[in-house]
Amino acid sequence: MAEVILKHIKKVYPNNESKKKKKGEPEKKKSNLLITEEGVVAVQDFNLEIKDKEFIVLVGPSGCGKSTTLRMVAGLESISGGDLMIDGKKVNDVEPKDRDIAMVFQNYALYPHMTVRGNMEYPLKLQKKDPAEIKQKVEEAAEILGITQYLERKPKALSGGQRQRVAIGRAIVREPKVLLMDEPLSNLDAKLRNQMRAEILKLRQRINATFIYVTHDQTEAMTLGDRIVIMKDGVVLQIGTPQELFDHPVDTFVAGFIGMPQMNMFDAELKEEGGKYTAKLEDVEIPISEEKQERLRKNKVKSQPITLGIRPEHITLAKENETHLTGTIGVSEMMGSAVHLHADAYGKDTIMIIQTMNLTAEEQKNIAIGNKINFMFNGNMVHLFATDGANLEV
Amino acid sequence: MSKATINEGAVGGRTANRIINILLVIGCLTVAFPLYMTVIIAFKKPSEMTNDVAGALGFPSSWSFSNFAEAMEVTDFWHSLGNSLLLTGATVIICVILHSLAGYLIGRKMARIKAFKAFYLYLISGMFVPFAVLMMPLVKQTAEIGIANRFGVIVLYVVFFMPMNVMLYSGYLSNIPTALDEASHVDGAGVWQTFWKIIFPNMKPMHATVAVLTAMSTWNDVMTPLVIMSGTDENTLPLAQLNFQTQFGTNYNLAFASYLLALLPILIFYVICQKQIINGVVNGAVK
Repeated sequence: MAEVILKHIKKVYPNNESKKKKKGEPEKKKSNLLITEEGVVAVQDFNLEIKDKEFIVLVGPSGCGKSTTLRMVAGLESISGGDLMIDGKKVNDVEPKDRDIAMVFQNYALYPHMTVRGNMEYPLKLQKKDPAEIKQKVEEAAEILGITQYLERKPKALSGGQRQRVAIGRAIVREPKVLLMDEPLSNLDAKLRNQMRAEILKLRQRINATFIYVTHDQTEAMTLGDRIVIMKDGVVLQIGTPQELFDHPVDTFVAGFIGMPQMNMFDAELKEEGGKYTAKLEDVEIPISEEKQERLRKNKVKSQPITLGIRPEHITLAKENETHLTGTIGVSEMMGSAVHLHADAYGKDTIMIIQTMNLTAEEQKNIAIGNKINFMFNGNMVHLFATDGANLEV
Repeated sequence: MSKATINEGAVGGRTANRIINILLVIGCLTVAFPLYMTVIIAFKKPSEMTNDVAGALGFPSSWSFSNFAEAMEVTDFWHSLGNSLLLTGATVIICVILHSLAGYLIGRKMARIKAFKAFYLYLISGMFVPFAVLMMPLVKQTAEIGIANRFGVIVLYVVFFMPMNVMLYSGYLSNIPTALDEASHVDGAGVWQTFWKIIFPNMKPMHATVAVLTAMSTWNDVMTPLVIMSGTDENTLPLAQLNFQTQFGTNYNLAFASYLLALLPILIFYVICQKQIINGVVNGAVK
């Protein structure tokens, strides 16, 4: 059992900027973080209940406070406000060594003077475990990660991927309650990253720990997480399963962050007449499904200019005689099973993913740079956002 | 200068290269020549020390170790060597332990806490106080509290070398990523364990540097033991060597033989440490 509960967690870095400002220096704004009397607020009011053995992914652009949050859970950063509970105990002021957590660092942080075995033994030796038990546990962990043959090597004689395995090995060897990972794969090349991602998934089945994983890569977040926490500028924007985030993003930022390639956004107009909603993009009427109508009615949404979002994979080609939108193909990326088209439509670079197997020979011929393309999408797949970014359906 | 630039400006490059070579040779000679003089004079008999060039620079007529034997006797070599080793050894060990600890604390905290930065600057300012200024009060104080002996000299050395050593250690810390400290804390170690098990071993190159600098200064120092230990019968090697300079003249042959003998231990120490300086670069810790 290891639940982690974060209640109104807050991190403020006291700064001296306010003093400088008084001296009349020009104000330099580095980020959009909230600056209060106390200082720069790196994390604001973070609330999350992590269930035992859950895999939570914190994701967001750099500087959003995700690593800070993780480091607060680890005890490497002090907590400015709120309660952090691990296993029902408040641990705000507990030393990292007494929290029974393990952490994998972005840059591995292996002890360079120790062999791989020494590195992995270190946490167990600190617990004063029996040498025979230590040996057995280290070898078990090495077996899981496939680093048995490197046990007597020093970290400098290992490749990046091997080093990261050792770092993970050092973390799992003592069976911590909570396993924290701070962008563990971001130093690896793309191929190795995919491979390690799969291994982390496998690892998860084998060890009983609650995972908190920080990344800025949405693919990692989507594939690994039971639930994803999206952060921006120190604020939690949305918490949910990958599917929830993908289907019901709370605002345009989440919508753009989750999903590869990004969601397309158009400026459109929403009209409400007698409880019936229609959206208009230029002159083309976009159908809105009954399900969505219902939610809009419930939220008492009025007629207004909106941002209309549609994911590239939900765009289909349309015939000339059907209602359709039109764009000019700028770039065509052949991916094998699908073509990624970048079309200029209504002043926006619109990305659409067209499955090649559904295309007739003639259609395929027409998909060429400079040609016009007609497309449409299902009314159930559109996302309606207010101009300030908030999702109108939520 | 890289090879490429030398090749490009073929003629100019070659001339520059030659000038550098000549300068290096001159540099080597300035180091080697006095050493040569020391060696040959140490082997000569006083009667061979004539005033012409051959007398000064020529080889001795016979290579005999009698000067060394006599010098050892005059300086009470083994006893003085023991004292020198004791003072140097104790100073180096205490310096490496205490100063690395202090350097770690100050180096890690300095960036975030201003008080540590101030303390650091205060410590460093100690480097600019010449010994001559401190000499008289120190002689008095050590005598008063009863440490005008070998122990007192060690204490003084540890204090004298603190500014530079702390500066070296805290500067070197930037090569040891803080991620290592953090990893160790998360792995279950406290600050103390982290220092001894992770930081201390990784500061090896700096230990070697500090050890060499401290040992050389301690080994060759005359002034501190001279003024502090003057009441005791204990001599260090440099102190004992003062015996060669008398009111009536200096016995160069014995003195140089003695200098050569005193040079050997510190030279060996340097060779051992030098390897460590080159070897130990933190590699493979982080990307």
